[in-house]
Amino acid sequence: MTAWLVICTIALTWLGAGAVWLVGDSRPRWQHSLAVTFALAAAVTAVLLIPQATDEAVITLSVGGMFGTFTFVPDGLSVFLTAVATVIGSLAIVFSVNYMHGEAQLGRYYALVLLFIGAMAGLALSGSLFLLFLFWEITALCSYALISFYNDDPKAVRGGVKALIITQLGGIGLLLGALITRTYLGDYQISTLLAQADTLPPNILSLLAFGFLIAAMAKSAQVPFHTWLPDAMEAPTPVSALIHAATMVNAGVYLLARFYPAFAGVAGWKTAVATVGMVTALLAALMAMVAFDLKRVLAYSTVSQLGYMVYAVGVGGVFASQLHLFSHAVFKALLFLGAGAVIHAVGTRDMRQMGGLRRQMPVTSVAFMIGAAALAGLPFFFNGFWSKELVLEMGLEGGPLWAYGGMVLGAGITAFYTFRMVWLVFWGEPRGAAHAHPAGTAMRVALIPLALGTLTTWLVVGPFGHWLADTLPYHHLHVKTTAEFLRDIALAPATYVAIAVVGLGLAAWWWRDHLTGLAKDLRGLAQFAANGFGFETVNRVVVNLTQRAASALQLTQTGDLNWNVVGIVGALLLVLLVLAG
Amino acid sequence: MTQSIIIWLIWLPLAASPLIYLVGRISRRQWGYTSTARWVALAALAASWVPFVHAYRQFSAEGVLTYVYGSVALRLDGLSLLLAGVVLLLATLVTLYSNPYMAGEIGESKYYAMLAAISGVMIGLGCAADLFNLWLWFEAMAVTSYLLVAFYRDESAALEAGVKYLVQSAVGSVFVLMGVALVLAQTGTLDLAAVGTAVSTQFADSPLLLTAGALFVIGFGVKIAIVPMHTWLPDAHSQAPSGISAMLSGVVIEAGLVALLRSLSALAGVAAAWGELLIGFGVLNMVAGNLLALRQTQVKRLLAFSSLAHVGYMLLGLGVAIYAGNVAGAEGGFFHLISHGLMKGLAFLSAGALLYVLHTARGDHSPLTVSDLAGAAQRYPLVALVFSLALLGLGGLPPLVGFMSKWQIMAAGFATQNTVLYAIVAFAALNSVLSLAYYAPLVNMVYRRQPSTAVLAGQPVPFMMQIPLLLLAVGVVAIGFWPNLVNWLVQPAGAALLAAFGG
Amino acid sequence: MNDMSILVAGVIGLLGAGLYGLLAVRNLFQVIIALQVLVKAAVLALVMAGYASGNLALGQSLGVTVIVADTVVAVIGLALAVQVKRHLGTLDIKALATLRR
Repeated sequence: MTAWLVICTIALTWLGAGAVWLVGDSRPRWQHSLAVTFALAAAVTAVLLIPQATDEAVITLSVGGMFGTFTFVPDGLSVFLTAVATVIGSLAIVFSVNYMHGEAQLGRYYALVLLFIGAMAGLALSGSLFLLFLFWEITALCSYALISFYNDDPKAVRGGVKALIITQLGGIGLLLGALITRTYLGDYQISTLLAQADTLPPNILSLLAFGFLIAAMAKSAQVPFHTWLPDAMEAPTPVSALIHAATMVNAGVYLLARFYPAFAGVAGWKTAVATVGMVTALLAALMAMVAFDLKRVLAYSTVSQLGYMVYAVGVGGVFASQLHLFSHAVFKALLFLGAGAVIHAVGTRDMRQMGGLRRQMPVTSVAFMIGAAALAGLPFFFNGFWSKELVLEMGLEGGPLWAYGGMVLGAGITAFYTFRMVWLVFWGEPRGAAHAHPAGTAMRVALIPLALGTLTTWLVVGPFGHWLADTLPYHHLHVKTTAEFLRDIALAPATYVAIAVVGLGLAAWWWRDHLTGLAKDLRGLAQFAANGFGFETVNRVVVNLTQRAASALQLTQTGDLNWNVVGIVGALLLVLLVLAG
Repeated sequence: MTQSIIIWLIWLPLAASPLIYLVGRISRRQWGYTSTARWVALAALAASWVPFVHAYRQFSAEGVLTYVYGSVALRLDGLSLLLAGVVLLLATLVTLYSNPYMAGEIGESKYYAMLAAISGVMIGLGCAADLFNLWLWFEAMAVTSYLLVAFYRDESAALEAGVKYLVQSAVGSVFVLMGVALVLAQTGTLDLAAVGTAVSTQFADSPLLLTAGALFVIGFGVKIAIVPMHTWLPDAHSQAPSGISAMLSGVVIEAGLVALLRSLSALAGVAAAWGELLIGFGVLNMVAGNLLALRQTQVKRLLAFSSLAHVGYMLLGLGVAIYAGNVAGAEGGFFHLISHGLMKGLAFLSAGALLYVLHTARGDHSPLTVSDLAGAAQRYPLVALVFSLALLGLGGLPPLVGFMSKWQIMAAGFATQNTVLYAIVAFAALNSVLSLAYYAPLVNMVYRRQPSTAVLAGQPVPFMMQIPLLLLAVGVVAIGFWPNLVNWLVQPAGAALLAAFGG
Repeated sequence: MNDMSILVAGVIGLLGAGLYGLLAVRNLFQVIIALQVLVKAAVLALVMAGYASGNLALGQSLGVTVIVADTVVAVIGLALAVQVKRHLGTLDIKALATLRR
């Protein structure tokens, strides 16, 4: 039964991908309905998996050789991420029915989105590192192909290839880790690694731990690998919501949380993770503060929130990181889809051309503002508040104080840029020339459940924690009931500090005209932030150097026959020298 | 009694070659039928599968098969079968593909005759049991391929490619002969197994045999396109007719690799670091091939350069196997040989299909540029899809066959527990990422919405050309999902290599 | 000076001359001649190897086979040269360096 649910969750989406492709672009109505049907079916099977969660492998397939045994283990972490991917995936597809209406090449679009959803489920459910890496790469492939969906736009192509290359570079860390595990422990099973990590030689274990950290950083867009995510915003907006906010970017956090028990003892690993998370959370928030492209603000905010999750793992708060992942997946998908509705309506992504949209798009604006409140961390009705407070509380307890200070500052900046964004888009006077029309039915159908989720998912914190704890034998999570959680958070001093800082952030936006002196002082910083803190330059230098090396090497291909023979004779002499020496 | 199955396997395509030529010419001249040669060639290659299946059955039951005729011996082991299988697969599909592609070309009968001949010759090369015979088959393969590379003999670019290919190959061939002479002078025999025994008992420290090994590496290395002997390859592979490009990239360079492995296996006992040498050249090939391919603007030339990188992966896997005696490396190298044959064959054939419908079919012999591909998916959805699958597979993305074979090579490198090899594997992975920087933009180009002028004026793709594309694409995906599908070929070949190197 | 060292000197001389030709001459026809010289070095080496290993007959038969096989290569090479002359109007290999980069 459980095995079939696992198979169906992956297979339904992939079958759907094939079906949409085969139907062909001449029947767009069929494509829409098929995509929605298959995605919803996969979501249902994934949700049905929730009560079946277990820490045992439900599918075992021996391939042998260098490929080991393929296993699928639907434990709490896995099923949780699978459910998030499929449910939000199906909402994104429902949203696409309106958003992508009348677009060309729908077959390719839906096929890739469905392929992605299946790969994400596979990634989460894999019990072997080989399969994990395989699905990891498939998600990167889909992400690349969807970012550059509008192939005629060179910016989209560049963004897609950049995302592919950076995440693949990080993926090498995971590849090496998987190979090390097999070499030293005999197989690729995740459970083997978790159980026997302490039998590895210390230097090998730290190679493994930091390899996984690099893979996670690239996938979850942590500094300095974050540069691909803002450029990925060339993708159609439902794709940004699904892949670049709610699911794929979480894979890195998932990886860290999954292997936390194995690596927690590695010298410097926890501190490194917490530092990466803190720096990312802070820098990305600063970048979000000065951006004017609505999707870029959301992208930077995603990077920043992922920093919170990574930081949570680094300070030992695996449960806090997963809770924040949950909240963030829901409210950020809501924000992206809301932004998609806005962009679809006004035809631009520049917030300076928006304004006053709350009257023209009432449903969208209310939904968006609920998501924004959760992102900003406004108390008490929004899921983002509770999970962020839990992260900060864990940080104060288990991490260095300076990192905690950075995170609290980040929370204030988050409130500031969120408020700025909402203000620019929905309040004030309309600045754009184009007339906005309200969102379509399918769009609203997708937004409303997400808005409701943002308001309610924090109520299940207790059961969620127990469910995770019961199926994760290596993690030793300390969980309580919902009431205890809420009481502890509500009484923690960290919470009041955070609320105060969030208030300061809001106030700073409100009285921004009175703070012009400070703003002038910070202009240099803002400029620096707008340029991505110099990390773009590093990327450019690497690309330039590679291209120059390529051009230089091309000069050796002279086409001259004598020169070609020189190559042969020279190689012979070289080989003789090497062999003799 | 029936060890003569080897003869059938080799002679069927070889004997068909003159038949194809004569029947093709006569039926054209006497009765005006232009298509006879195509169908005879297809029939001959299809028929060659019968002895292949028999040989495989017999090999599974009895082990290595030997056929002795006078002083010439032929030996069929796992490696021979692997080469024969890949050769027959690609040759059959290329014949099918060329049916419309080469229709009406001057010298069409000669083309098919040469295609059948080169297939037989390569199968023979895989079965050669002594060094001189190995050279003879190798030379026969080279001669046949010169004619095929310079098939468009009225095109100056094809002539240029043919001349360079001929001169460089001939130099390599002389080096091989020098090596053969040294081995003969030192050991007094040329039989691979006898040389192996003599070397390990008497001549382990012989500097002459060391030199002979170096000459083999360089001589066969020209054909395998080991950097820096690779300079002919981008010209030859891009100027040949597309079906031949697929053969050259997919099996001819690999046949050279088999020849190198055979000759080196005889010298396995010489105190020299053959494995390390192959690994070193593998690394060099990867990085040079990828960098050279990075900025190409002609599709077939780009694909040709990428072959350098893929040869690098094979050399890495096989080098690991020889160095550490681990069978996984050998299997990985041979798996990549098959997987590269499928993927690069598919890439060249689909690029060739586009070249054909966009240029050649309209009498235009200009090369296919990257910008010509723009919007091809709009008019040719199937070709665009299979071309993308081939490219992404070459880039090592799952769930395609290239991912699996690269994984096996890397895992084998790790299994040695050698720190330098860890670094080399990481470098190989880095190269795989680098290669995506030129494969991925091609895919984007194909899926543009704004078609290029070439695409707007393009012809429809003939049905016969689509069949081999589809079959290869199915292989690329199916083996990507289930790598064990090739175990029946890869495992005996890996075992044969290790046995030959005394592992 | 014994027979062996004369043979070795001959092989090395032919090899050097052939390689020098390939590295230096700029005319396709001369390139093919240089190739022929190179192959003759190999033929001589095979005969010498047969002689050195006490198996002269084998060495000679190998040498003859190589000469035959190489004739085919020479014929194809010359045929290509004829085509080159016809289409490019020159045998200078500078004209055969258009495929580069």
